[in-house]
Amino acid sequence: MGLSAKDLLHLKESLQVAVVKCSERCLYQSAKWAAELLDAIPEISTGDLDQRASGMGNYVHPAFVTNVDPREAALEAKELDKYLLAKSFFDCKEFDRCAAVFLPESLLSGILSTKQSDVGTPRGKGKASASAPSGQLLPPISQKSLFLALYAKVISGEKLKDEESEMIMGPQDLGSVVNKQLLIVSRFLDRWFTERKSEENDLPPSQGFLEYLYGMVLVKEKNDDGALDYLMQSVHLFPWNWGCWLEITNLIARVEQLNKVTRSLPQNIMSYIFYANTAVNLYQQGQNLAASLTDLLNIFPTSSFLLTCKALLNYHSKDLMAAEQDFSNLLALHPHRLDSLDHYSNILYVLNQRPKLAFLAHLCTSIDKFRPESCVVIGNYYSLLSQHEKAVQYFRRALTLDRSCLSAWTLMGHEYVELKNTHAAIESYRRAVDVNRRDYRAWYGLGQTYEVLEMHAYALWYYKKAAGLRPWDGKMWQAVGSCLQKMGRDRDGIKALKRALLADTYYDSTTRSAGPIDRMAQMDPEVLLQIALMYDRLDEEEEAKAYMELCVAQEDGGDASGGDGGGGLGDSVAIHHNSSGVASDVEGEGVDRGGGGHEGTGVTVATSKARMWLARQAMRAEDYVTANRLASELCQDGVEVEEAKALIREARSRMELADEMDR
Amino acid sequence: MSRYLTPAKIGLLALIELYIEQAVPNDAIITVINFITSHLHDCDLTPAPPTRSDRWKKAESIIGLVVSIKEFELVLSPFTAADRLPGRRLWDRFLEKLWRIDSLHGLQKFFDRLPHLLIKTKEELRQIAERGEEPPSGTLLSHNSPFGVFVRRSWLEFTRLQFHHTTDLWKAFVKYRQPTAGHWRKRNPQHGRLSFDSVLMTGEHEWGDNTEELAVVAYGNMLLMGNHDDTLPVSTDDIESLLEFQVEQNQKYGTRVPPELKEKFQRLLKDSHVIPSLSHYLNFSDAWRSGDYPTSFDYLHRYFDYTMQNRDRLFYQYALMNLAIVQSDFGCHKEAVATMLEAVSTARENRDMTCLNFALNWFFHFGKHHPQLVQELENNSMLGSGKESLAFLRVKAKETGMWILWSSALLSEAKACMSSGESVSTALEHIVRSSQLVVERNLKTMVGSQLSTVMSLWDRLGVSYMSSMTCEVFLRCHAQSSIFDDELKVKCRFAGMLAGKGKYEKAFELLESIDKNSLRSAKANQYWHLYRGLLKLRCDLHRNNLEAAETLLSQLLQIGTEALEPDMVFMIDSLHIEALIRRGDFEAAFTKVDRLIAELRENNRDISLRIRLLLAKAHLFDCIGRPEKGFTISMRAASLAWRARLIPVLWQAIGALANVLTSLSEFAAAARLLMAVLPRCLETDAAYVTGALYSLLADARMGQAGEVTANDQNQPLGHHRRGVGTTQGKRRMEFLTKADEALDFAFKYFSIVEDVEKQCEMLAKKATLMRTMGDYVLAGNYAAKYMALRKGQTSTATAGGRAV
Repeated sequence: MGLSAKDLLHLKESLQVAVVKCSERCLYQSAKWAAELLDAIPEISTGDLDQRASGMGNYVHPAFVTNVDPREAALEAKELDKYLLAKSFFDCKEFDRCAAVFLPESLLSGILSTKQSDVGTPRGKGKASASAPSGQLLPPISQKSLFLALYAKVISGEKLKDEESEMIMGPQDLGSVVNKQLLIVSRFLDRWFTERKSEENDLPPSQGFLEYLYGMVLVKEKNDDGALDYLMQSVHLFPWNWGCWLEITNLIARVEQLNKVTRSLPQNIMSYIFYANTAVNLYQQGQNLAASLTDLLNIFPTSSFLLTCKALLNYHSKDLMAAEQDFSNLLALHPHRLDSLDHYSNILYVLNQRPKLAFLAHLCTSIDKFRPESCVVIGNYYSLLSQHEKAVQYFRRALTLDRSCLSAWTLMGHEYVELKNTHAAIESYRRAVDVNRRDYRAWYGLGQTYEVLEMHAYALWYYKKAAGLRPWDGKMWQAVGSCLQKMGRDRDGIKALKRALLADTYYDSTTRSAGPIDRMAQMDPEVLLQIALMYDRLDEEEEAKAYMELCVAQEDGGDASGGDGGGGLGDSVAIHHNSSGVASDVEGEGVDRGGGGHEGTGVTVATSKARMWLARQAMRAEDYVTANRLASELCQDGVEVEEAKALIREARSRMELADEMDR
Repeated sequence: MSRYLTPAKIGLLALIELYIEQAVPNDAIITVINFITSHLHDCDLTPAPPTRSDRWKKAESIIGLVVSIKEFELVLSPFTAADRLPGRRLWDRFLEKLWRIDSLHGLQKFFDRLPHLLIKTKEELRQIAERGEEPPSGTLLSHNSPFGVFVRRSWLEFTRLQFHHTTDLWKAFVKYRQPTAGHWRKRNPQHGRLSFDSVLMTGEHEWGDNTEELAVVAYGNMLLMGNHDDTLPVSTDDIESLLEFQVEQNQKYGTRVPPELKEKFQRLLKDSHVIPSLSHYLNFSDAWRSGDYPTSFDYLHRYFDYTMQNRDRLFYQYALMNLAIVQSDFGCHKEAVATMLEAVSTARENRDMTCLNFALNWFFHFGKHHPQLVQELENNSMLGSGKESLAFLRVKAKETGMWILWSSALLSEAKACMSSGESVSTALEHIVRSSQLVVERNLKTMVGSQLSTVMSLWDRLGVSYMSSMTCEVFLRCHAQSSIFDDELKVKCRFAGMLAGKGKYEKAFELLESIDKNSLRSAKANQYWHLYRGLLKLRCDLHRNNLEAAETLLSQLLQIGTEALEPDMVFMIDSLHIEALIRRGDFEAAFTKVDRLIAELRENNRDISLRIRLLLAKAHLFDCIGRPEKGFTISMRAASLAWRARLIPVLWQAIGALANVLTSLSEFAAAARLLMAVLPRCLETDAAYVTGALYSLLADARMGQAGEVTANDQNQPLGHHRRGVGTTQGKRRMEFLTKADEALDFAFKYFSIVEDVEKQCEMLAKKATLMRTMGDYVLAGNYAAKYMALRKGQTSTATAGGRAV
């Protein structure tokens, strides 16, 4: 997706305008995002610029042009003093004062009361009264000022809400504190938009920001559909407001929805970035996504945001080493940037890179120790050191700083599990899920906790949720399977576990990264053993035996070299094919790859158990030679030697007996 | 900065680890252990250092260790390491240990390793056995050993640290270690610029040029500023131990903190987060000693404001007590009494016997110095006179086990006995009992006052060699461990004794030899100056250097009597009288003596002072040529002195009596008296008195010679010579020779104390005597000597006057 110099120049200009507009409206984060992106565009060759500069001597940069709409421009010019005052108040975090510059309380109360009378009175009467206050109702101010005033109201409400909230997970902390300003703002905006739609008044067209604000308010009021509607309108009118895109991202819970939404979006670079980001957030992966990110990175080579997306993509596709590399580079490029370093710390945690994690925590502390990200990083470090109380303390601090810090809730849940405080764990997982329903780790954690409490029905429900979010993650399915197994639903369990096997191989085939290991290459003997045991319980001995053999075969990489009867594996796969209804071709491929000369797992508890079972089974089937061989292998491995020796003795005696019988 | 842990403490832990790994060679073990222990423990096990300036060494070394790693190098580099390659120094091993802590996580690991240095508890051993592991072997620290306690404490403190404090510690450690980088690089060539953090080191190939920037972000200004960023890694613990040490020194020896140490400490305090309230106390006592009244009050109030919260109100009385002491120190006696009374009532409320006893003791001493202020109080109280209250105090102190108070009560009683002229044996008994207490309870701080009391006893008994010996004993053996005030007073006293023997040079030398730093405290300094002034004054008076003496006197008299001890005031007064006499202003002298006598009678003061004043009065009568008027006074003085066994004064009184007798022409009696007294007086080492007695003896002898002549029928002068050969002439000659001898002796003693006036008088008398004896040549000689002496005196007087 190469862009010509002219296009690039245009893009730059648009971003510059976006930065100015967003910061005029105190949308700091959006402005920051746009500015970062702007910075990531490489220098354009000067030749083109000269051409352009010579073309227009009195060229005014669009960022400094007044509003194109003459009426809005006139309004803005008229109230410049007041606007500047309000903006200064906002910058000083005096939100109520800022709002009162344009919308004094008396005005707002008028709106509220008439609104109520509108609702309360029959239509006939309302009409008479409606004409009178309508002039006084909506103050004749520019959209920019109106946005600033209403936005200040919302923010002040949020601030109040935070102040009223109790201590994190304290006895009073029910998460039920609401933003009391929302009602006023939403009524006001509702009125504003109805007036706009009525068409009779000749009003200037909307600029898109008020739609964004209304969408945001509706989201907080949990009116998702309405919100999505307004937010879409907003991005159509002004696509450069990243905050708006983020709100949409948060509203989308599934890929299907994403695809549906994408169709009705404007086709520009922002929607492209939006799509990539949302897909990453939905744990999507695949060549296409990676390619589109690469395309974007060609335009914005040093964009920290896109680099983060790429790293997260790698992370979600379980290519941890690559993700670590990405984050590490990102860190070097933007050493002062704290955003999404919490994800980096998760990666380092899984990779067990303690010194580096410690360094990262140190770095974060040096930059700002009161950022949720820093606290999460530190919490992760302490968790890695098994200092769970301290970890909880830091996650708590992160949450005090920002209640919507998703990863902190989940991670705190993990810590509580470690501390064997299941109730707290469940609560924090629940909060995480409430904040973001797409967090599969929290769902999985909930499931785990309930499993610990031996409430399998609940656990199953949550595991299924997690598996729904990460259908290609074997671990989820495995959890579902074992949960089913414990509930005695062996058939379903087998299905789920087979799915798990499949998922593992799927990852293996899709992510061909630079990472030196693809450790999912072989099947998990544990899962195989579980499947076999369930078959055993269902008295399907053949299936059970096949899986047991497959399990044992994992010892040396699924390669059937040492296995008895060269066709054993092939048979088992064949049986597998016939019996399992799920996407067998993919699985077959996976299994074949699995057999492709990888190193085995070696002797594990699972394989030993499988071997023991096989030995016993052989005894029952009066195949003493096999039983003897398996048992002596067990003896060699040094697992359950006593039992194995007993088996050997029995097998030998039986064999001798058989020999004598023969004689 | 942190509460407890500092880079220096990490260094100590590393050293302990080395010790346990047996890397410390045998010959270094004692040095290393001594080094570690001296930094772990507040209490000083080594005996007190011989000089006062050495006492602050400990604080210096604490600060040194906190500030720089050099201290470790000094201790460790002389030794070789016992393990590993030969040729490695212990210092190298130590550095290896430190540099192996190569990242923040490394620090975490270092501290996580600490518990392995300890002996396993039974529980842990059982767990290890369950897991089927071998219990650890080798040298381990037991839990309650000094090292064990330190290791456990460090570990605990580390786990208590917040993360950013951990990073602070790490950064401070990196900085602390950095000076050794050069040395370390010599041994380890692979050491690079970023070696201080292994993550940066390994990240360099990945991050490239950005590594530098990352490092700066993580380590902040430390890397940019180099060593100029001079925050010192000091912990609250260090500050507290330093403070305690300083306060202890302050209280134990009564000296001020040397300025250079104070400055260093202030720098540390600047970098410490918490300023312990004790530092206000330190400031207070410093201001107190420096005589800065407003500042000391300010700090005292500040200290108690800050400590109120954690000490409850139970200690309010101590605040008041401190306040009262300060007030009385600065001369606000009335306020002091009021404050102390409030302290007493609060202490009563809180049933604090200790405080009450202290207050009573204070009142007793205060009452001795300012009787008019306490009088009202005593009239109303149940206790009655000072003596009963002392007995009460003694009993109470014994009950509550306050040994110091007990001993001081005993000594006070002894002093009271002596001053009221009661039985010496009672006084001695008190002293001995106190002495037993001091020895039994090892009350080092009491040795000073104990020995001072002994000295004054010997002085009163006129056994001056015992007194001076006691002085020497104290100065040689106990001065190091006693409070500075005691040392100062004893030294001054000793100097006074030397001056009494006429050894002025030595006396001044002794005074100059006092530790300059200790003299920085205002009270001591004042005392010292005053005493020096007194010595000089006495010296000047003897040398008849009246100009200088009067200048000095006018200065001394300006010092309010409030601020001085009564003994000093008396000394000034008596010297003043002497000066007046020498000036010939007998009128003024007489009024002054009368006034003083009246004052003393009123206040029921020390008996010796009264006798001295009586003697002064008798002397005055003598001076105006009517010695017989002083007869009753002299008699009274003699009898009083005899009753109180005030031997030196007794001889003086006898001298006065003899003088009266001489004036009444009872020459033989006078001579007999003097002959009896003189040998005893020689024992007292008071040269001037001896000289005076000899001169009186000469007078008496002359009188006797005159009597012989008068008996010789009042023949004219010419006959005398003729009668030389007769028995009467012989007797006369004998008396004259005796008079001559006495004059010689008198001259000798007067010249020992360099008393020019008396020397001249003796020479004049001698010349007259020679003339009487008909030896004109010798008489001329003596007259010439006299003239020379007068001349020399005037020249030295002008010179001396100019010098003062």
